[in-house]
Amino acid sequence: MLDLRVPSGWFFTLLGIILMACGLLQPQLRAALTDLNVNLYCGILMLLFGVFLLALARRGARRE
Amino acid sequence: MTLAPVDYVILAIYFGFVLGIGWRLRKRVSTSGDFLLSGRSVPVWITSLAFLAANLGAQELIGMSASGAKYGIMTAHFYWVGAVPAMLFVGVFMMPFYYGSRARSVPEYLKLRFDEKTRAFNAFTFATMTVFSSGISMYALGLLLQLVLGWSFTASVLCSAAIVLAYTFLGGLTSAIYNEVLQFFLIVLGFSPLAALAVTKAGGWDGMAARIPAVMTHSWKYLGSASENPMGVEVFGLVAGLGFVLSFGYWCTDFLVVQRAMAADSMSAARRTPLLAALPKMMIPFIVIVPGIAGLALSRMATGYHLPMKNGGPDYDQVLTTLMAQFYPAGMLGVGLTGLMASFMSGMAGNVTAFNTVWTYDIYQSYIRPGAPDQHYLKVGRVTTIVGVALSICTAYLAQHYNNIMDLLQLVFGFVNAPLFATFLLGMFWKRSTGHGAFTGLLGGTIAAALTHGLTVAEGKGGWLAELHHFPSTMAQNFWIAIFAWSTCFLATIAVSLATRPRAEGELSGLVYGLTKIPHQEGVPWYQRPGPLAVLVGGLLVLLNVWFF
Repeated sequence: MLDLRVPSGWFFTLLGIILMACGLLQPQLRAALTDLNVNLYCGILMLLFGVFLLALARRGARRE
Repeated sequence: MTLAPVDYVILAIYFGFVLGIGWRLRKRVSTSGDFLLSGRSVPVWITSLAFLAANLGAQELIGMSASGAKYGIMTAHFYWVGAVPAMLFVGVFMMPFYYGSRARSVPEYLKLRFDEKTRAFNAFTFATMTVFSSGISMYALGLLLQLVLGWSFTASVLCSAAIVLAYTFLGGLTSAIYNEVLQFFLIVLGFSPLAALAVTKAGGWDGMAARIPAVMTHSWKYLGSASENPMGVEVFGLVAGLGFVLSFGYWCTDFLVVQRAMAADSMSAARRTPLLAALPKMMIPFIVIVPGIAGLALSRMATGYHLPMKNGGPDYDQVLTTLMAQFYPAGMLGVGLTGLMASFMSGMAGNVTAFNTVWTYDIYQSYIRPGAPDQHYLKVGRVTTIVGVALSICTAYLAQHYNNIMDLLQLVFGFVNAPLFATFLLGMFWKRSTGHGAFTGLLGGTIAAALTHGLTVAEGKGGWLAELHHFPSTMAQNFWIAIFAWSTCFLATIAVSLATRPRAEGELSGLVYGLTKIPHQEGVPWYQRPGPLAVLVGGLLVLLNVWFF
């Protein structure tokens, strides 16, 4: 049976990388009401979550 | 709001993953049970998050942030008085009978416990309701994308419906459940930064509280009388109508959510599904309601943010998307938009899979063609998926005649779900209740709901028979419709049951409290036992209510 943590993990890893790339390539890009580099920080958050899911899935697979 | 190429890339990647999951799961489907019930083999963390996400449709995201801006933190009662206590109840007290009876659906439980006519009544009303809910969800999304991005209503409705159809057709309930979990993650990760950014900008909770009326930042304080708060409800109407009748009616008897728990791989997992789901559920107000309140506060500051307007009044349904446009740059904006699409899809897939199962097992197999080989029902299940999606598209266009989505949903639930909870309560905990009693009660409750709506008026709605009473808001009207429907069903069921012959106790084993052995779990750690989990969740819930009193 498909371990859902694998596709979810890859999805958020990919999303995180894209957002971080946006944040790093256009560091001056800001939305109207915020002074933060939203893409960069959200990208890091998503990447961490994705890697976390993948790590859980690996640990689960090794146990079996 | 305009989208950059990167936003479209993110949307496309998401669609790719959703379809990919459906494609990977297609091989697991070889019987109708695999397709419609997931073969009862889904891990508990997945069923819990799906239990939650199936309800987290687009109208919930849009409607709850709209209500946040309109009514303030009182909106959280939909979670803290409504959903969570009901979820605890279904997990601890009702799941043993649902799962233990081996019924394949909620209507089938009614057949086992009561009789054929009670099942038929529930199966038909439920099937109608799911189609409507799914259509309303679709309408909400189509309208929003048209308004915000200028996309064609028809194109966005058809395109997202096609994707939902593809993955549910391929992998059935398992595919819907798996995708609901991915959608849940995306909704949380896509919208919690928005809540954090908006609240920070508005000066934190204290800054918000200083700028908006006090009634917006207290959940209980202004519930003494209906005139004190913008919702127009008082404590009894809220706790009895929303907290007891509507929420228990929905979370405890609606097959859309119960189906997710029934897909779990064991009785214990089925019972823990709603309990584990209740933990994130009580935090959802912070991502869906609080941004709405922050939006209202921001509009009172010199930030340049204004509430979106329509016909001279604020258009609360657009609060969420306008906030997104103000706080998210290209990139994260795509994630937020994808989150909206995800919520829409999980809401729709939830309805479609529930409709599927009820139609195939409770209507087709019971009344149209019983006794056919299983492969036939698998085929019917697949065809029903297509029909269900097509019907939802039709109702989406029908829904264009109504503007406030949440109110309409509450109205529909008041007619269908409210009396149902009385039937289940008596059915599961009073062995004397009979089929004739249950059916009369359900019928009477639904009629009572319609009559209450016909005899009372709120905001110009209802009163199509006479105008006996005015409610300060449609929300108050809906709560009272539910209270009358429930009470009528409860009393009628008892009265008729006492006058009719009860079933032999031996036939009710596994279906009624007192005649069912509920497994005791010795030697299982506390966090895997329903009782201690429920106490933990209940304690946290009380804390939240006190905190935002």
